[in-house]
Amino acid sequence: MMEPLARAYEHSVAERPKDGGLFGPGSIVWRVHRDRSFPLAAIRSLMVQALHPLAMAGVAQHSSWQRDPFGRIAATAGYVLTVTYGDTAAAESAAARVRAVHTHVNGTDPVTGLAYQASDPELLLWVHAGMVDSIVHVVQRYGRSLDAADADPYVAETARFAEIIGVPAARVPVSVAALREYMESVELRQITPAASEAIAIVLDPPGLDDESRDLWRDLGQVAVGTLPPWARSMYGFAEPPPELLERAPVRQLIGALDFAFESLPGVLEARERIELRMRE
Amino acid sequence: MSRARKPGPMLQSRLGRGAALARLALRIGGRYVAGSPRLIFASVERRGELRHELALRTADDVVEELGSMKGALMKLGQMASYIDEDMPQTFRSAMARLQHNAPPMTPELASSVVVDELGDAPERVFARWDPLPFAAASIGQVHRAITREGRAVAVKVQYPGIARTITSDVKNVALLRRVAAAAFPGLDTRSLIDELGERLREEVDYRLEAENQEMFAGYYEGHPVIHVPHVVPELSTARVLTSELVAGSRFEEVLEWSQPERDMAAETINRFVSRSLYRLHAFNGDPHPGNYLFHGRGRVSFLDFGLTKHFTDEDLAPLADAVRFLVIENDGDGFRVSLERAGFLRAGAPVPTSAVVDRFGLFYQTVFRDAPMTITPAYASAIVRRFFDAKGPLAPYSDVPRAYVVLQRINLGLYAVLGSLRATANWRRIAEEIWPFVSGPPSTPIGEAEARWEQQRQGQGLSLDRTA
Repeated sequence: MMEPLARAYEHSVAERPKDGGLFGPGSIVWRVHRDRSFPLAAIRSLMVQALHPLAMAGVAQHSSWQRDPFGRIAATAGYVLTVTYGDTAAAESAAARVRAVHTHVNGTDPVTGLAYQASDPELLLWVHAGMVDSIVHVVQRYGRSLDAADADPYVAETARFAEIIGVPAARVPVSVAALREYMESVELRQITPAASEAIAIVLDPPGLDDESRDLWRDLGQVAVGTLPPWARSMYGFAEPPPELLERAPVRQLIGALDFAFESLPGVLEARERIELRMRE
Repeated sequence: MSRARKPGPMLQSRLGRGAALARLALRIGGRYVAGSPRLIFASVERRGELRHELALRTADDVVEELGSMKGALMKLGQMASYIDEDMPQTFRSAMARLQHNAPPMTPELASSVVVDELGDAPERVFARWDPLPFAAASIGQVHRAITREGRAVAVKVQYPGIARTITSDVKNVALLRRVAAAAFPGLDTRSLIDELGERLREEVDYRLEAENQEMFAGYYEGHPVIHVPHVVPELSTARVLTSELVAGSRFEEVLEWSQPERDMAAETINRFVSRSLYRLHAFNGDPHPGNYLFHGRGRVSFLDFGLTKHFTDEDLAPLADAVRFLVIENDGDGFRVSLERAGFLRAGAPVPTSAVVDRFGLFYQTVFRDAPMTITPAYASAIVRRFFDAKGPLAPYSDVPRAYVVLQRINLGLYAVLGSLRATANWRRIAEEIWPFVSGPPSTPIGEAEARWEQQRQGQGLSLDRTA
């Protein structure tokens, strides 16, 4: 489950990039996207994004999700990392590939009966907002790379993510408040069977042995605890006990998982490449 | 000894399964496997190998790098690697990679610790101060310096903030147990985690290490081949430990030396282990080769007393009895009773004494016969493998009592070191010199020199033996 992520990490952070990419080593995006709390932010992102029935239908009906959910997650992680740390050419060609794939992703959501197109800027904006909002929330709460003063500038920097995938610049929120206001304004938010199934797999992946499952479930519980109340109630999850959500034990849990992740081939080296470029 | 190990086939299927979390670290395959698996914890002792370009700049960096369980898990893996033979090759190499890559502090950060601890900048506290560390320590780094009195010293400086984060991390026993269970399935990790907590709490206070090091240094004062550097107490605190600087060859270099030189080095290490245990009732529980420096003709300096374990007379008596019954008196029943007293074997277990002798006698193989014997790496790992074989009839009735967890590491670590050196000696004769219940005559040139040292000390009323 972690190996595809490790490979994505290794490949997204090039050894000899031609330039600093879309953001550059001095950006807040660079600093925040290597935070060790990132996996938790990713789980929360998926949980939020899945609550748009059309976005969820596109994933459920077209991608490799059913066959290989964690491969699909690793592909998304690799995309985010490439756009972040890759050089401009790598970031742009990754975005072009995703846009090309999206042109073929069209269909009808069985629950709402609505037609969707993956290239619809409104769907892309929802997915973007779910990601950025989750990163802001989780990294501020459990990471160390984003203080309150940098939250708005971070959201503004990430607008590039939305733009290169096809969202008009004028539509992209550039502050935390605008981001949350936008999310609350989206009317088509509801739980579907596809979302329930997908999130069940994320929170309790098949094939884990008992001991590893306990660790992963703890992480899932924390992710549930970070959800906005509307999202948690759509899933029907109870609010986790507050002691589970305290910063110190959550950081210990993240640290333990990160320790395992970092020991996989290529991860430490990729992180060092990022660090060295940020220090230049 | 992992008595709680689950049956073999189940263990195997668990290991072979494709999706595990923390245990992924164990299965990274042969890519990074080091040549001598037990030796990879050797500390980084070449300045050029330290990753100065990635230096930790703030206490916050330190906590990010080694806090949030990372330092604690690294230690856990290191401890487990001594008692878990199923998967450690890959695990150890993964750990070594992480440890090897642990960056040093910037000169400014290290200096700030010295200011906090010794009251002034290192350039003023010492006559000369090397701002770049020459070695990494588990929770700090080591600088060369010259004191105002002109002594060359090694100054170990602890990472700022590490004590607090590690203390808090080892309190999260529930998480440690889960990680340990995922990382070492089948191994009874409870005593390991208790031991980890205790060791780490001790390790973060350098004053304890200073006290232990001084005890060893005092005991071995004037010894012909064993050298323990003295602490400079006025320049040592809870987070700074200053001791005499030692120059010597590293273990990796000794592996290239002639066989007679390696035999002598091995003999000294063996003597240090036995003598410390039987005569001083203490041992440095971290027997990795990075803690040794070699000077030729059997002379060895022993460094790093951060994991010293003291044994009470009650801890030691059954062990001494076991060896005496088994090896000297050839009395299997007496041997068995000693093991039961120590808690290794449940009393009244329905197994024949011959099986007990066969199983637990493993640790005494090198001292069974009065003859020269060569310890090879293959022999060392075969011993360990047999020792951890969970299929034996004794498995349900055996345990490792808490007091002996460290001792186990000593023994296994010692076999690994001697095996790497391919050392030959009459280990029995050497042991008999040191066993208090034999106190045999010197059997080697080093033994003769040691005997003269002992006589001298006794003549001066200086013997510090607890069993003299």
